[in-house]
Amino acid sequence: MFTSRKRRVAVGLSVLAVAAVAVVASVGVGGAAARTAKPATAAAGLPRDTTLYTTGTQWGTYSDLNPFKTWDYVTGLVGLVYEPMFNYNPLKDKYTPWLATKGSWIQKNVYRATIRTGVTWSDGKPLTPADVKFTFETGKIATATFHQLWTSGLKSITTKGNDVTFTFSTTPNYQEFNGYLYNIAIVPQHVWKRYTPDQITSGNLASTKQMVGTGPYTYGSGLNSKQSFTWKKRSGWWATGVYGLNPKPQYIVDIFNGSNNASLANLLAGNIDLSNNFVPGINTKVGSKITTYYPSAPYMLSGNTAWLVPNLTRAPLSDVQFRHALAASIDVNKIVEADYGHIVSPANPTGLLPVWKKYIDNSMVQKYGFTFDVSKAKSILAAAGYKDTNGDGYVENKDGSTLNLSLIVPNGWSDWMTAIQIIADSAKAAGIKITPTYPDYNTLVDDRGHGNYDLVINNDQQIGNTPWTYYNYMFRLPLSDNQTTVNYERYNNPAAWALTQQLDKVNTVPAMQKITSQLQSIFLQDLPLIPLWYNGVWAQANTGHWKSWPTVSSSKLQTLPAMWRGYLQMGGINMISNLQPGK
Amino acid sequence: MRTYVARKLLTYALTFFVAVTIDWAIPRFMPGDPVQGLISRMQAQPGSAHALTGYYTKAFGLDVPAWKQYLNFWAALVHGDLGVSVWQYPRPVTDLIVEAAPYTLALLIPAILLSFFAGNKVGAMAARRKVLDNTVLPLGYVLTATPYMWLALVLAYVFGSVTRVLPISGAYSYSLQPGWTLDFALSFMRYWILPFASLFLVGFGGWAIGMRNMIIYELEADYAHYLEALGAPRRLIRRYAYRNALLPQITGLALALGAVLAGALVTEVVFNYPGVGSLVLTAIQNRDYFLLQGIFLCIIVGVLIANFIVDIAYVLIDPRTRIGMQGHQ
Repeated sequence: MFTSRKRRVAVGLSVLAVAAVAVVASVGVGGAAARTAKPATAAAGLPRDTTLYTTGTQWGTYSDLNPFKTWDYVTGLVGLVYEPMFNYNPLKDKYTPWLATKGSWIQKNVYRATIRTGVTWSDGKPLTPADVKFTFETGKIATATFHQLWTSGLKSITTKGNDVTFTFSTTPNYQEFNGYLYNIAIVPQHVWKRYTPDQITSGNLASTKQMVGTGPYTYGSGLNSKQSFTWKKRSGWWATGVYGLNPKPQYIVDIFNGSNNASLANLLAGNIDLSNNFVPGINTKVGSKITTYYPSAPYMLSGNTAWLVPNLTRAPLSDVQFRHALAASIDVNKIVEADYGHIVSPANPTGLLPVWKKYIDNSMVQKYGFTFDVSKAKSILAAAGYKDTNGDGYVENKDGSTLNLSLIVPNGWSDWMTAIQIIADSAKAAGIKITPTYPDYNTLVDDRGHGNYDLVINNDQQIGNTPWTYYNYMFRLPLSDNQTTVNYERYNNPAAWALTQQLDKVNTVPAMQKITSQLQSIFLQDLPLIPLWYNGVWAQANTGHWKSWPTVSSSKLQTLPAMWRGYLQMGGINMISNLQPGK
Repeated sequence: MRTYVARKLLTYALTFFVAVTIDWAIPRFMPGDPVQGLISRMQAQPGSAHALTGYYTKAFGLDVPAWKQYLNFWAALVHGDLGVSVWQYPRPVTDLIVEAAPYTLALLIPAILLSFFAGNKVGAMAARRKVLDNTVLPLGYVLTATPYMWLALVLAYVFGSVTRVLPISGAYSYSLQPGWTLDFALSFMRYWILPFASLFLVGFGGWAIGMRNMIIYELEADYAHYLEALGAPRRLIRRYAYRNALLPQITGLALALGAVLAGALVTEVVFNYPGVGSLVLTAIQNRDYFLLQGIFLCIIVGVLIANFIVDIAYVLIDPRTRIGMQGHQ
């Protein structure tokens, strides 16, 4: 036991310790004040004036240096280090030659790209067509994400001089292939040839020394960090000479996604320059300091469609009339207004994104499109034989049994949780009973895949080069026990799927429009999914340290404003290159 | 003493076995398949989804019957292998825990120890001073009843958002990376203050109330009255009361220290602190069986060791236990 002397020592110690904390706190406070006043350099820290701070992409530790793991690689790996053959700007529907200087279909089933000369890898070796061939040939591995390229007709890749030639055995899937042109990042064969197939498709390849790319940045620090990761600019980027792109940030620090409140506070305080998080209420902060792509509603570009996905194998959702009634019963404008504060827009009845406007057949929309109309929803229900027999205000199933649809979204996705409450409320007015439910993400994925749900909201398909991805998502056949990524609603329409495949195999806008018009006719009449609203390419920037952010008001700055995976080659790299010091 | 220790050790071995078995089983009772979650996040085309499912199911050893998974789990455990993370495939679970542990330990050990010492002192003082009792007691109740999260949010709001004197997100400045430099150390201290304060304050309230009530109870005990009747000075009586009142508090301290590797989940999440607590949350969200198992295993081991130490320490610090044991023999 303590003697009284020892006890006094213990007391003294704890008092001392508390005092020490207080002293440290006050030192910290002083330091903070000094730093707020002059946000310059800490001796070993990065210079604020030439460092870009971003957040909104990274949910895992900064460990994955594998550009083929397109869902997991550290923010910026593709775009800043590894680059594809082309970049693509969805806002202008324009491909920009990147590591290739040109590419075209020289025959119906032969594509030839010319690889840029004078591009060097960061280890000094030149980029060669063999690197491109090697990269695309990794798709032969069954677990490669783009393995479909090789199972759908690609026969061989050959190189000659600066050219790479892709030869297909059948009519190629042009739409898919165009996507690969800007989505597959080219890796150096001389480094990657040592890796096993498993390492290539699922390894983290966690040695920064072997992270050899052609892009403007290279590893700074932060491997395996759960807080931040730093890219350092390297000299000699080919695009500086070719396109005059010369990013000003000497360092790009990406910050792990944390709680919303911390992320917003850091953005407002200027500790973060670009946040690609969904920030509720950001519309009230937009002004001279905080900017978004549009200066007023909808503030954000539309990046994907949020769909209401019905389970078509269950009654009454298998009934097309019921689906039309359901669609007419949903007050999407209320979601846009009350839930999102106008930072999203209601979706077109076809569900196609605004960037695909030219593929939307307005005559079809006029003829078959749905609108929010409670009385119409009621009359469709009545005409189809759904009646409220027990007088509880809700219609019953045709067989008289109680009708109660559960609508699921992942727990914690607060904007969607609010949205489905609004949906349930507005469906109630039409007499349809919907119960909002919030299972956790993995449970939802499991149930959705195996068809154990009534209604679910989903927005998996992102903005890109072609509406084919959307029709592939809606109509793809065959169905299996577990629908992991597409056709969650289990829509079995061979005619629609045949048209979708045809769409993949044409390569001109008029030919595509002809098919998309037919697809829209099927979609709008059958309504296998109900498009709700467009989720935004969430982007809010602080102009304190960097300005010239992407904006609709300048043609040069019309690029996607996101660091998200897959977005740097859709304009993100232009965003970084366009930035100017804020002072 | 030897039989006592042996008996204790046997109990602990059994507890360990049962706890580890439960540790293995619980994540598997959670609904949802980790591999499907992973495939969904990958957005793999249907052409590769099937192959990927097969590959990852095998990679995580989930392609064999449950009993075999269980045996494999023990076999790996014996070799110190906690498996591979689902969330950060193919990184080993041990790496992830080792990376997060320093942050949690640096936050929780000082918070627990300082709140223990300060709380007990103040609680003991409150028990014998009316003024202090009237102020500290309500404050203690308020503090200990305060959810960590709420206190953390209030602190973050006041010091981070309104006055902006302290950073509220992360464990060190975004412009730094961990290293043995003065800059990093200073930055670390600055980022440490708010999460530490939120843990310290709530812990402080709990200890203070516990001690205050315990002292009052002890002062009412027969031995205290007896001493008083003998004319012993108040100081002496209070010293004895303090010693006795400290015993249950020490158990609480040991348990808190034992569970230290669980991290302070809510506090870490609010402050984006990269410790074990936020790792637990991520593991749950990603159905990362192996990571979750690994962290729980650390907690189990920690709690068992702490209990064992308490068992031994009690023999040393509490004469009654000692005498009881000798009597038993």
